[in-house]
Amino acid sequence: MKTTLQRACLAALLFTLGCNSTPAPATTPPVTTPPVDAGAVVTRPPEVTPTPVTEIPGHEVLAQDRTPKEPPRLMPAETLIRSYISLFGGLSPQALQVRLRGATSDNLFDTWGDYLSALGVPDYAVDIPRAPQTNALMLAAFERIGVALCERAVQNDLRGAVATNDRVLFRFELPAGGRALTDEEFGARFDVLHRRILGYPAALAPESRIPRFRALYQGAVTRHADAGARSFNGPEAGWASVCEGLVRHPEFHLY
Amino acid sequence: MDTRRRTFLKVLGGAAGAGIASQPLFRAFADPPVASDEFFVLIHASGGWDVTLSLDPRNERRGIIEPGSTDTIDTAPIRLWRDAPLDADSSTFEILRPSGSSLRFGPAIGALAEMPDRLTVINGLAMNTVSHPDGTFFAATGRHLAGGKPVAASIDTMLANEFGRESLLPTVSVGYPSTYVGDDLDARVSPLRVSSVDTLSKMLNRGNVNTTAADRLAVTAMLTEEARDLAARSWYRDEIEGFGLQLQALPRMLSPDVQSIFNATSLAAAQPTFFPTPAKRFQARAGVNCAFAVEAMKRNLVRCVSFSSASHDTHSNNYRSQPLIQQELFDTIAALVRALDAAPHPTRMGRRLADHTHIMVVSDFCRTPQINLTLGRDHYPNGSALVISPKFVGNTSFGRADDDQMLPANAGTFADGARAVAPPDLLATFVSAFGVNPRKYLRDGDVIRSLLRA
Repeated sequence: MKTTLQRACLAALLFTLGCNSTPAPATTPPVTTPPVDAGAVVTRPPEVTPTPVTEIPGHEVLAQDRTPKEPPRLMPAETLIRSYISLFGGLSPQALQVRLRGATSDNLFDTWGDYLSALGVPDYAVDIPRAPQTNALMLAAFERIGVALCERAVQNDLRGAVATNDRVLFRFELPAGGRALTDEEFGARFDVLHRRILGYPAALAPESRIPRFRALYQGAVTRHADAGARSFNGPEAGWASVCEGLVRHPEFHLY
Repeated sequence: MDTRRRTFLKVLGGAAGAGIASQPLFRAFADPPVASDEFFVLIHASGGWDVTLSLDPRNERRGIIEPGSTDTIDTAPIRLWRDAPLDADSSTFEILRPSGSSLRFGPAIGALAEMPDRLTVINGLAMNTVSHPDGTFFAATGRHLAGGKPVAASIDTMLANEFGRESLLPTVSVGYPSTYVGDDLDARVSPLRVSSVDTLSKMLNRGNVNTTAADRLAVTAMLTEEARDLAARSWYRDEIEGFGLQLQALPRMLSPDVQSIFNATSLAAAQPTFFPTPAKRFQARAGVNCAFAVEAMKRNLVRCVSFSSASHDTHSNNYRSQPLIQQELFDTIAALVRALDAAPHPTRMGRRLADHTHIMVVSDFCRTPQINLTLGRDHYPNGSALVISPKFVGNTSFGRADDDQMLPANAGTFADGARAVAPPDLLATFVSAFGVNPRKYLRDGDVIRSLLRA
């Protein structure tokens, strides 16, 4: 009985293996082409007319939260340096450094490397993380760099005989003969700088901005009225101050 | 009915007050500084120090402990090393017991052995880690790293937030593991993290050829007004207000008096004791940082100076220098204490800076009690700390590591039962010494009342 059962099992096993070891012939499904209905017309699906959300029942009065969801953030130092570079001539960092240091010993600039830690660039070699917020020393670095950028731009654009369109920053003309600017003339020129550095028209800024920069400009003009030949004259000092005020502005560093 | 109405109005008024007080800006200014005449120096002995040579001395073979000996240590520069027999051909050291003190030190303690009355030693600190970053931030924040990131403010930020909001420089952090994490922190107290003090001097240089200081001051004043106006129009005001306050501080930053404290040459002239000849082999930077701390505090420019020392991470035969690294650090700290003794307090007539300056020294962890195959010591999850503060009981040691394995042993009964002392306890005790509620910053940790002066 036992032997018979074993034989039956063995036969069943062999049959199964035999079935498995013999692959079934591959069958390729016949390719069928759908018949073309010559009379059918292919049309676009009907367009859905957009419905204003207020027309959806129950949404007649819909409160929308437009409050900002996070506080202003500090521009990463790398982005800041890139902005400096693109705004002030589009040179390489090294070339801009050479220009900012200048040929004279006017102590305007050192090297980018001297300012990196103060600007908040992380230094993982000594476990210093990125600075997420401004601090007093960082603002001192903003001033140091801003003064160098603006004074060199004034020297290049306003002292040199550079055509208006070839200028680095101050792409406007000053009145001939050192005539004082009217408020309107100042506003038009300030708008050029405001658009270039802060990225939007000065007219869209808070109302106090143009008068405030006008006062800053005028104060510098007055202080430099009888400046020597080596120092900036009134308009030069005025535009240097305006430029400095824009590249050190909170809107330039926070977003 | 009247009573219920009155109760309702009280609750309403309280809720309104709480609502106003919970606004970030209000919170930042609501808490008056508890003691704004206090100064802080926080030191991180980086790399993990070998406490068997200094704060928790071991000079016997016991359990797994192999004491430092002439086989493994360069003893010649260690002033307080006195041979004690260990083997036939090697010697260990005699434990120092300063007269009139119950404290015991190893020879690497250096000049601090001369001032035991000022010292509060914490031994058997449960670091629970042998990872440098984790131990570093655990010691400074009281929390282990989460996903590699710190999750709490560091002790220098906590103290600056309480006492340094009005300071020109709330915290200057020279390589210290300073973190600015938390909702209750004032924007002004973000640590000023730098790799060295004297590299800052170039930021404060100004040329006066084309324009003058008056021109720059006018720009700064105008920008301060701009920041104030922008803040008034902003939903989130703290960042822009912080910007404006820092602009206000800029003229003072640029004064010659302040510039001199960022210059190593000026610091050496003002504090020559921190610049010995020959120069320190390992801890010369610690001297610069301490000189900066004293000069900045004398001028009331900074509330907190925190820095990391040269590395104590001696896994191989560089362990021979371990006691010298510590001796130089402790000598520098002793010089700092003496300089603070000699310096007048900037705002308290007739008081010394030392009466209001509080020093805390910690490390990542300590080193193994065994000597490894390359004659060094590896990482070990025990630790020690040192506090020098007029708020702390001096001439005191708290906590212990066990005798055989140097692992943290029970130090007493805490709120969660008997256990070893841990960094959160130390930090909670430190901030509470100045009237700060530790729970404002620390999730864990009990205040150890016995360490505080009445």
